[in-house]
Amino acid sequence: MSSLLQISDLKVHFPVRTGRFGGSQSVVKAVDGVSIRIEQNETVAIVGESGCGKSTTGNAVLGLAPVTAGRIEFQGQDLASLNAKGRRDVWRDLQVIFQDPVSALNPRRTIAQSIAEPLQIHGHDERQIEARVDELMGLVGLNPDQRDRRPGALSGGQRQRVVIARALALSPKLIICDEPVSALDVSIQSQILNLLMRLQRELGLSYLFIAHDLSVVRHIADRVAVMYLGMVVEEGPAATVFANPVHPYTEALLSAIPLPDPALRHSRRKIVLEGDLPSPMNPPSGCPFVTRCPLAEPACAEARPALEAVSAQHFARCRVRVPITRESQDC
Amino acid sequence: MSLLAIDDLAIGAADLSLVDGVTLSVEPGEVVALVGESGSGKSLTALSIMGLLADGLQRQRGSIEFDGVDLTQLADEQLRSLRGAELAMIFQEPVSSLNPLAAVGDQVAESLIVHGRSSVADAGREAIDMLRRVGIPEPERRARQLPTELSGGMCQRVMIAAALISRPRLLIADEPTTALDVTIQAQILALMSALAEEANTAILLITHDMGVVAEMADKVCVMYGGRVVEQGPVEALFATPRHPYTNMLLKTIPRLDEEPGQELFAIPGNVPSPRDWPVGCRFRTRCDRADETCAERPALTGQLHQVACHHALRGDA
Repeated sequence: MSSLLQISDLKVHFPVRTGRFGGSQSVVKAVDGVSIRIEQNETVAIVGESGCGKSTTGNAVLGLAPVTAGRIEFQGQDLASLNAKGRRDVWRDLQVIFQDPVSALNPRRTIAQSIAEPLQIHGHDERQIEARVDELMGLVGLNPDQRDRRPGALSGGQRQRVVIARALALSPKLIICDEPVSALDVSIQSQILNLLMRLQRELGLSYLFIAHDLSVVRHIADRVAVMYLGMVVEEGPAATVFANPVHPYTEALLSAIPLPDPALRHSRRKIVLEGDLPSPMNPPSGCPFVTRCPLAEPACAEARPALEAVSAQHFARCRVRVPITRESQDC
Repeated sequence: MSLLAIDDLAIGAADLSLVDGVTLSVEPGEVVALVGESGSGKSLTALSIMGLLADGLQRQRGSIEFDGVDLTQLADEQLRSLRGAELAMIFQEPVSSLNPLAAVGDQVAESLIVHGRSSVADAGREAIDMLRRVGIPEPERRARQLPTELSGGMCQRVMIAAALISRPRLLIADEPTTALDVTIQAQILALMSALAEEANTAILLITHDMGVVAEMADKVCVMYGGRVVEQGPVEALFATPRHPYTNMLLKTIPRLDEEPGQELFAIPGNVPSPRDWPVGCRFRTRCDRADETCAERPALTGQLHQVACHHALRGDA
């Protein structure tokens, strides 16, 4: 049976003009060979730092970024092969929640109007819409009395609930959540995460969860893919990746999270990486992490390592930690 | 004597109270974290120390003593002579806080020149040295570049270099790593600690991230609704939080050692806007311990570990 979403060897390359008068052209390889699979009722998280390509991957699935190469299949259908009608049918099942609920909502529309919009576009009649909006507001924990309010009268957490209600309007199967809680106050973040987990249980949803906050990801994700400079460097069940990270970048990322426990301040081993992320316009040769890796060897700069199996479900792209002996796997 | 002693500070606009009676102190060389969510008044408190409140906002009462001198009584001229020399500040957005049209080396050197501590030529050399110490590769070349030619992490290093070059006695850091990636955050926090320790610079660190607090602070001051609700030594505050808000805030953080998929602890309700703050304790509308006594404002009581709550949790005090 095919997966709900299958991204195979996705590449998104953007041409950029460089040079003093924009005379020369080069290419930013924002996403460079990413493969990710999501099953029904599953949460897969993509984590990584700014510029790693995690949001561009989500945008490519949504048709908001041009696909240079590779395939994106949703429910067995290649998204690139669809005509306008076919694409619109797919949008019913595929929705998105962005980071900033303020800019995601039209300030002049009431909450009810914003939530109703996808239903109107898909031709539901007014009576149905009215009832469905009330139902959706209840589902996300908004009081139906607030239906005529405008976003300006709501708090950040309430606005994000409106965005979630709108995403749920057409009963989608997959929601791409791009940093859904990072703009919210700490005391509100867990309310929204709990809501997302409850909706998944009740509605059988799948999430592609894009985030930089690893403690949030560990809590909500079934599987996690760690991206660096447009590539997945490690992928596996969230519990395994967090407990036994294999790639040195994953290790550094985990050790850099400040833990809310002052007693660990001196006892905890911290890996502080040197230097900045290389520019995706001018990535290093070989392994993308070679310029900052504490384990780098000269051979690492020669060829890009393949994503090798660490165990049946767990893959990493590192020639030092996962020497190429096992059969090479690229998913 | 404390290096910084804020007493009963209140800030607001004409008919609006935003900070209401903040009292806190910072000792020489100490790292004090000022923690709170948006609207708690933490950034306004910091800006008022620097005399940088936006137009329309003013100090309504209270004093801010720095090294025994009440900053609120100083003329602009006198405050300017302290700012950048004795008192320095770094902001959340490094890119927008730097002048986009000036070479970063000149911006780092500026405070030395303005305060007449070095000649222009010496200041330029010191700036390059400072850029090297904050970990900027090829500082001679980088010093001539514009902020737009540097990454966000580099710009934050430049701001730290500019803030610390005159060896201030107090550094106010307002969410200094919030806009940065976690591996860069780890670098910047380590750098700030090392440089501050070397020059015995005290840090007032404003943040919403309890993880950053636990790693950096000696003392923590928790704000909610424009007031200090709890303050104390970092170990005590994390081990035995006494205010229900602090306790809940610590419980909401998803921990790396907790069972995934379980419902997270959530504080009920929303952060109220300043116009909707309840009378008395401002947390009482979201608090599970609240009763009618909470309609009266609780005082901040205690010695080292202080709490403002009629029904404080049992602690170590």
